[in-house]
Amino acid sequence: MLFPTTHFLLFFLVVAGAVAALEQRFTAKKAVLVIASYYFYAQWDWRFCFLLGFSTALSYLAGRIIGATWDPERRKVVLGIAVGLHLALLGAFKYFDFFVLSANELARSLGLQHELPFIEILLPVGISFFTFHGISYLTDVYRGDVEVCRQPLDMALYMSFFPQLVAGPIVRAAYFLPQLARPSTEPIPIVPALLLILGGLFKKVVIANYLATGLVDPVFAAPTSYGGPDLLLATYAYAVQIYCDFSAYSDMAIALAALLGFRFPANFNQPYRAQRLREFWQRWHISLSTWLRDYLYKPLGGNRGGRLKTYRNLMLTMLLGGLWHGAAWKFIAWGALHGGGLAVERMLEPWLGRRAATPAGRLIATLVVFHFVCLAWIFFRAEDFAVARLFIGGLGSGWGEGLQQAGPFMVALIAIGLAGQFTPDALFDRIAAAFERAPAWGLGAAAGIVVAVINALGPEGVAPFIYFRF
Amino acid sequence: MVALERELSEPAAPAISADAIPLRLRRQGGTPRQVLATMVIGTIVLALFASRDLASWTERLGDTPAVLAAQKIAAEWDQDMAALGLTRPHEALRDGLRRLLDLRWGSQR
Repeated sequence: MLFPTTHFLLFFLVVAGAVAALEQRFTAKKAVLVIASYYFYAQWDWRFCFLLGFSTALSYLAGRIIGATWDPERRKVVLGIAVGLHLALLGAFKYFDFFVLSANELARSLGLQHELPFIEILLPVGISFFTFHGISYLTDVYRGDVEVCRQPLDMALYMSFFPQLVAGPIVRAAYFLPQLARPSTEPIPIVPALLLILGGLFKKVVIANYLATGLVDPVFAAPTSYGGPDLLLATYAYAVQIYCDFSAYSDMAIALAALLGFRFPANFNQPYRAQRLREFWQRWHISLSTWLRDYLYKPLGGNRGGRLKTYRNLMLTMLLGGLWHGAAWKFIAWGALHGGGLAVERMLEPWLGRRAATPAGRLIATLVVFHFVCLAWIFFRAEDFAVARLFIGGLGSGWGEGLQQAGPFMVALIAIGLAGQFTPDALFDRIAAAFERAPAWGLGAAAGIVVAVINALGPEGVAPFIYFRF
Repeated sequence: MVALERELSEPAAPAISADAIPLRLRRQGGTPRQVLATMVIGTIVLALFASRDLASWTERLGDTPAVLAAQKIAAEWDQDMAALGLTRPHEALRDGLRRLLDLRWGSQR
């Protein structure tokens, strides 16, 4: 069940109706939201619900045991077992076949005959996200950064809450569980939430979908059939597509949670305006980058062990970040590029710092970071490593042939997507303020008309969000 | 992954990210009932102006008796909306978009 569909609209109407009816009964509201979340998840495959339930029970029970134990060794053992089980589940469903394939290829290259069997199981959608929820909860309980969750219902809602269940943002226990302790007394920010939904719909249904079908998919499917200009524009188009696709999902998730009375953290902040690669990661998929910082980079030692160890930690963090996206060498290459880029940037920081002080320096820095990120996106999007190499090899050729695939509409969508990176923060506030005092019927009617327009502009059907597969 | 490089002099507290909808935008708002009212009115407006998609959505649902009944209702609803002229904006937008998609540079075939 995708957000921009009639099915989801009807589902959300029912949920919003139940929440309105249960305004004064917070526990019942949470129970309804858990049921709704499991229904939502079952729309992909009802068997996945057992996995989600197991992950929830594991986190809840291990959290209770860690919280009830004073012996540091025992706490560490329980944490290790629980995190190990979470990772084993993730590994079995997401990475097992990748490691078998790699081992078999290695065995063949060594002349060995025996091959390991594949298990070929369906990847449960969102497994990476709820696994990270469980791990961060347990680690925070172990560190004493969050109180033990004593209510199974709260843990079930934390792990399964449908707006963030399948593609994030990754919401920390310390951020979300306190919201479940008592009902919010804040008013529901209807106008900002509607603006996020409408903006998200436009980004996904119009920009991301047309760029995917009209330019990115055909060019990445056969890069040798196109010249450099089409390849370059397809690269820019993918940068815009993945941003519009993923940030649209995050925006809608944030808005849906807000309409149900919950706060979510920000997940994107105009990433392509970054002047440093490090800054890019402070603006892109913020909930994952901060998760990896706190649960991987810092435990590895962060920047505390001198330069070489910092570079090593950056590289390891980014390599594992790449692997998190999928079991494929292309994602590892993507992570390695970012890890290497961050290390080099850190090495050059004194030199870069002097040059970034001027407007020209800032412009050049933004362009360099954007193009580096685009280069890495080629590995991320290409079918495999070999296609990525062909794609990059083709960028320098065929410049006399002009454009075959990228028409003016595609170029306009790329321009709109990139222009959106440089709008002032205050613009959203001003638009929200303009509708602040509008009555509910007026807001509903206006939103309905805008959705109808976006729906008419979009192609038939909606492609799944890119991050569902992670 | 690498907001990362702040020194760790402070204890490793979990980073609680900033709210996506900042406090300044959460001071005014509504109740769950107003949310529901907004959603219901938006859905009605959508049913009026996007009846084409309602019909095509029901066609994708399958062929159980209940779905067949829903398909019939959706098709009749779409015809009624077309008779009222409410499907015209949808079709005009689609036509306009098709023309935009067909635009080519001078050098393109």
